[in-house]
Amino acid sequence: MLRDFWEARGRVGLMVTAIAVALVGVGALLVARAVITREAAAAYTSTNPAAATLDVDGGVDATLLAQVRTRPGVIDAAARQTIATRALVNGQWRRMLLFVVAPDDPMSIARFTVQSGTWPTSDDALLLERSSGTVLNAVPGGTVQIAGPNGPVTAITVAGLAYDPALAPATQERTGYGYLTPSAAQRLGFSPMADELKIVTARDPSSVDSVASDVAAWLTTTGHTVHQVQAPPYQHPHQNQTNAITGLFLAFALAALLLAAVLVAATLGGMLSAQTRQIGIMKSVGATTGQLLRMYLSATVVIAAASTAVSIGPAVLAGYGLVGLVAGLLNIDITSLALPWWVFAVLVAAGIGIPVLVALGPILRAARVSVRTALDDHGLDAATGTRRVDQWLARLRGSRTLMLTLRNLTRRLGRLALTVTLLAAGGGLFTASLNTSSAWQAWVDNGLARRTYDAEIQLSAPAPAGAVLEAVRGTRGVTSAEMVTTLAVTPADASGRIEVQRTYPDGGHGRFSLVGLPADTGMLHLEVLQGRWLLPGDSDGVVLNQGAATRLGTPRIGDTVHLAVAGRVGTWKVLGFVAEVGGPDTAYTVPDALNPYVGVGRLTGIRVAVDKEDPAAAIARVEASVAGTGAIVASTTPTSELRTAIDQHVVIFIYTLTTLAVLMGIVGLLGLASSMSITVVERRGEYGIMQVIGATPGTVRRLILAEGVLSGFLGALVGVLIGLPLSIVIGDFLGRISFGLPLPFQVSVGGVLLWLGLVVAGAVAATLTAAYRAGRLTVRETLAYQ
Amino acid sequence: MNIVSSNSALAIDVRGVSKVYPTPSGDFPALKGVDLTVRAGEFVAVVGRSGSGKTTLLNLLAGIDRPTSGEVWVAGTAVQALGESRLAAWRGRSVGLVFQFFQLLPTLTVAENVMLPMDFCGVWGVRERRPAALALLEQVGIVEQADKLPAALSGGQQQRAAIARALATDPPVVLADEPTGNLDSATADAILELFSGLASAGKAVAMVTHERDLSGRAHRTVTLADGRVASDVAASL
Repeated sequence: MLRDFWEARGRVGLMVTAIAVALVGVGALLVARAVITREAAAAYTSTNPAAATLDVDGGVDATLLAQVRTRPGVIDAAARQTIATRALVNGQWRRMLLFVVAPDDPMSIARFTVQSGTWPTSDDALLLERSSGTVLNAVPGGTVQIAGPNGPVTAITVAGLAYDPALAPATQERTGYGYLTPSAAQRLGFSPMADELKIVTARDPSSVDSVASDVAAWLTTTGHTVHQVQAPPYQHPHQNQTNAITGLFLAFALAALLLAAVLVAATLGGMLSAQTRQIGIMKSVGATTGQLLRMYLSATVVIAAASTAVSIGPAVLAGYGLVGLVAGLLNIDITSLALPWWVFAVLVAAGIGIPVLVALGPILRAARVSVRTALDDHGLDAATGTRRVDQWLARLRGSRTLMLTLRNLTRRLGRLALTVTLLAAGGGLFTASLNTSSAWQAWVDNGLARRTYDAEIQLSAPAPAGAVLEAVRGTRGVTSAEMVTTLAVTPADASGRIEVQRTYPDGGHGRFSLVGLPADTGMLHLEVLQGRWLLPGDSDGVVLNQGAATRLGTPRIGDTVHLAVAGRVGTWKVLGFVAEVGGPDTAYTVPDALNPYVGVGRLTGIRVAVDKEDPAAAIARVEASVAGTGAIVASTTPTSELRTAIDQHVVIFIYTLTTLAVLMGIVGLLGLASSMSITVVERRGEYGIMQVIGATPGTVRRLILAEGVLSGFLGALVGVLIGLPLSIVIGDFLGRISFGLPLPFQVSVGGVLLWLGLVVAGAVAATLTAAYRAGRLTVRETLAYQ
Repeated sequence: MNIVSSNSALAIDVRGVSKVYPTPSGDFPALKGVDLTVRAGEFVAVVGRSGSGKTTLLNLLAGIDRPTSGEVWVAGTAVQALGESRLAAWRGRSVGLVFQFFQLLPTLTVAENVMLPMDFCGVWGVRERRPAALALLEQVGIVEQADKLPAALSGGQQQRAAIARALATDPPVVLADEPTGNLDSATADAILELFSGLASAGKAVAMVTHERDLSGRAHRTVTLADGRVASDVAASL
């Protein structure tokens, strides 16, 4: 057996490599998933995030706070303030969240870690969350230009960096995070008021909701108005996405391992069929089926174990690499790279178990063969020429070498099917990942093209619409402007009970907005999925985007939904559903419908389209014009920033998907190499005959290359076809977890051509060794094999 | 060395050829100083027991193997002096080989099998190859099987197809290795008849066989024993 292995060392090497490559993929994802899941949870819980945050009108003083701490179910409580403002970075505005924490706050809840500098900071300084550095282009020792409530910008020193893994990374949210004392906030012009009551309860969602609701009710009875209750899930904001996607990738990696195992089974099958006579001889001298079975199974175990052994190290290293990448994206520190025992157990079990199970079929077949059948075996050609496919192909006319290649391709239909399957699986995933990437681009492009404004400017308080719009429309560089009023709302039920919000402290994840804009808006053209868009008189109706529809329990057209604004519950009729890229869960209505909340003829924001020549300068002039009316700009969001934020959320998944696709492509090409290697051994005699009748070694090489390339091309083509439905499945999955809607179907022509080119080049490389070996065989060697 | 002989009347000229195979138990001399000539139009049978060196000699004549010492001239060419690529091209044009197990390519039809050497060696124009192949199949009596795959043919028919393929490039020398070893006696007779006909047509035919009875159909019978020519007897035809 060992000698047979040594004789076929090239093929044994291919089998070991194929399994090892797939195992590296499986192992890397297992390692990454195990470490990231544990570390992300540990990092998030290490901040002891508030189980719930209650917005309390008028703020929470020390006395009230002490009383809250005694309420049933409340384990701890703190009073904080979050200010949403903006920072001026290289002439452009960026969203900025300031977390105001009193110097004497014990920091037992929602704590952050000081990485450089000291806390509390002085009155003219703040700490930046470390992922904000690139968004704000700021480093410790430098300054950040922060807009105050009345507009003027104040420079504040960056005293150091804080680490807060409870927040979604600043780079993905395109938002800066700062931590400062009430005095520092006051110096920037803000009124310090700890209006956020953060409480810690038992962590199960029902306890959180019930305790938070009880505290809210108690506060109301004591004369305090609670606008909103936020209780985000007890996990990192991106934890669900990370879990779902690493799970999907792990499934793909396991599929690659399964394919590699099939490759082993087919290669072993090929080797065993060449040894049929040898098996017959062994049986004729007394070997039992059981003994042969044990012998060949042991060989498979040795191959699988060797693959597993060589793959564990690279798998762990690749996994750690992926951990570093994902940790960077989640903005979490990895405190321990320790791997649980089950990672190795799963890897070893999969690495040895799957190939052995898959190989069991051909091994059983070979071991069970009768002595007579085995000794009668004359190899490859017993069936060739007698099958229907051979008769059909024999009718084809054309170049002899082409016919030879084409017909040889179908001699081992099982093997051809395996090669095609391996390449098709790789190609399917490869093209699907590029199709998905392309669909993502198209979806975002399309979604953003439906927003024909260049920036949205939010005001810190409602302002007269007429004056603001007139000022903005008269600004140089502005081509058009529209009012928009955005209110943070909370879903409620028919009884008026306000739902606990699932919004994270960054105010982005889990946010729900009620937006009033002209029914005939020329700046937002969302695709209507069902029902209709707004009409001017729809003052009691809303159009919901996909996220809002899900949040409200997927109502039907004409249903009534309840939304609370600052504690006041309003009733709305659902008019239609729209698809929207980016942005929070939103219910759209007409501006008049929001008069009860902002006042008649007032707005909270404007959207502007500007000249393309220098949009940043034009937007800056718009802000100046708004300020000229006495309104205060709270934030400015260029539409281009939205694009960056959306892309940042998905880039890692597209990269990982493509890496896995390449992995599967490699397994596919190894399958092709293995298949061609077996082919050369089986047809050695025929190559000798060809050389006897005048074929040069070069001709033989070219014939084998042509067969390999044709197999590869066939596999690649099937892969492209498989990639089409796979693109829909992946696009559906990725779209739903990102936007709540499937991505549109899109074919990346470049990706398809790239895959076909890669496979043809890979097929040449994979077949070259076999072709070279065949060309080197002397006629005597080949005929001696007969 | 000059690889083109001046004595072109000799289709085969083997001069003092020895062949030694290294084996784990030491060198094994398969041929020891063999001399042999075959003229165009001669049908020579090479006979001997198993291990006498018959197949080694045939392999040397076909350029399938190289002598350890001595010279092998076939169709005016010193075979041992050619590299693998030139050897393949030379073999295709100069030598037609017939094997015991026919060795037709199973995925090509009978006619395509015959046309393949023409493709490899570039003989006949592309459009003339099929008519030429059909003529050869007519000559060996199986033209009606031209478009069938080898698996659909009997052993005798396959051997006839193999002979047609051996003649595809009109080589001056035809070498056969136990060509009737896998055939019944009636079919074997017919095949030998074909070889006789080829010799009559001017080709040098050398046939290796262990069946001494068959040698009676040849012009000469060369007997090998222990790697040496034990006898070289002309038939009394």
